[in-house]
Amino acid sequence: MNEIVQRVRVLLSTRLKLGKAAEELGDDTPLFGPEGLGLDSIDALELVLGLEKEFGVVIEDRPTAVKVLASIKTIAEFIQTQGKG
Amino acid sequence: MELNGDPLSRLPHGIPFRFVDRILELIPGERIVSLKNVTMNDPCMQGHFPGNPIMPGVLLLEAMAQTSGLLLPKGSSALLAQVKDARFRRPVVPGDQVRIEAVRLTGLGTLHRFAAKAFVESEPVAEAEIVLAVSNAVGKDGV
Repeated sequence: MNEIVQRVRVLLSTRLKLGKAAEELGDDTPLFGPEGLGLDSIDALELVLGLEKEFGVVIEDRPTAVKVLASIKTIAEFIQTQGKG
Repeated sequence: MELNGDPLSRLPHGIPFRFVDRILELIPGERIVSLKNVTMNDPCMQGHFPGNPIMPGVLLLEAMAQTSGLLLPKGSSALLAQVKDARFRRPVVPGDQVRIEAVRLTGLGTLHRFAAKAFVESEPVAEAEIVLAVSNAVGKDGV
């Protein structure tokens, strides 16, 4: 699980223009909204594509995306429940 | 090709801002190949540049975006949301026939992402990843 979390962190920091290094990203920090990293819908699409390429997980609809893309931790959990990573 | 009606008629753009002349292949939601004939009559050629006509790179992007938009469901009205990794490999000039191939990569909510490539004969002239936002169902920002 920790290895997946680390790979998700690296994916976020390299694929999105966050201006933050992978190790600066908290596992529970909300990805969206002003209290979190402040990502927008275009970032979400970038993440969906990145997760598909890196882990082979597919997020097809908005309700799943809202749940899965809440934080680094929820993404890692989703990858694990899909038997990927 | 669609049997019932010309898919090009779904393009909301009018002259002089229509950069798809013909559709060669169309698998709705997946892949499309279009043609744009570049001529001296294209209005942009008067100014870009006087005596040295070159199709503006931004209009090649527009042609790729319009082509991609034709992959969306009928009745969708879409706007550009993102252009990524655009490259222009060589100038496109009057007399060139630009063939644009676009595939839909993924989508989420109102956003759809495409990879588009433009060729003249078999030579790549431009490429980009394009995100379109379907504006007749635009939601709040966020996921």
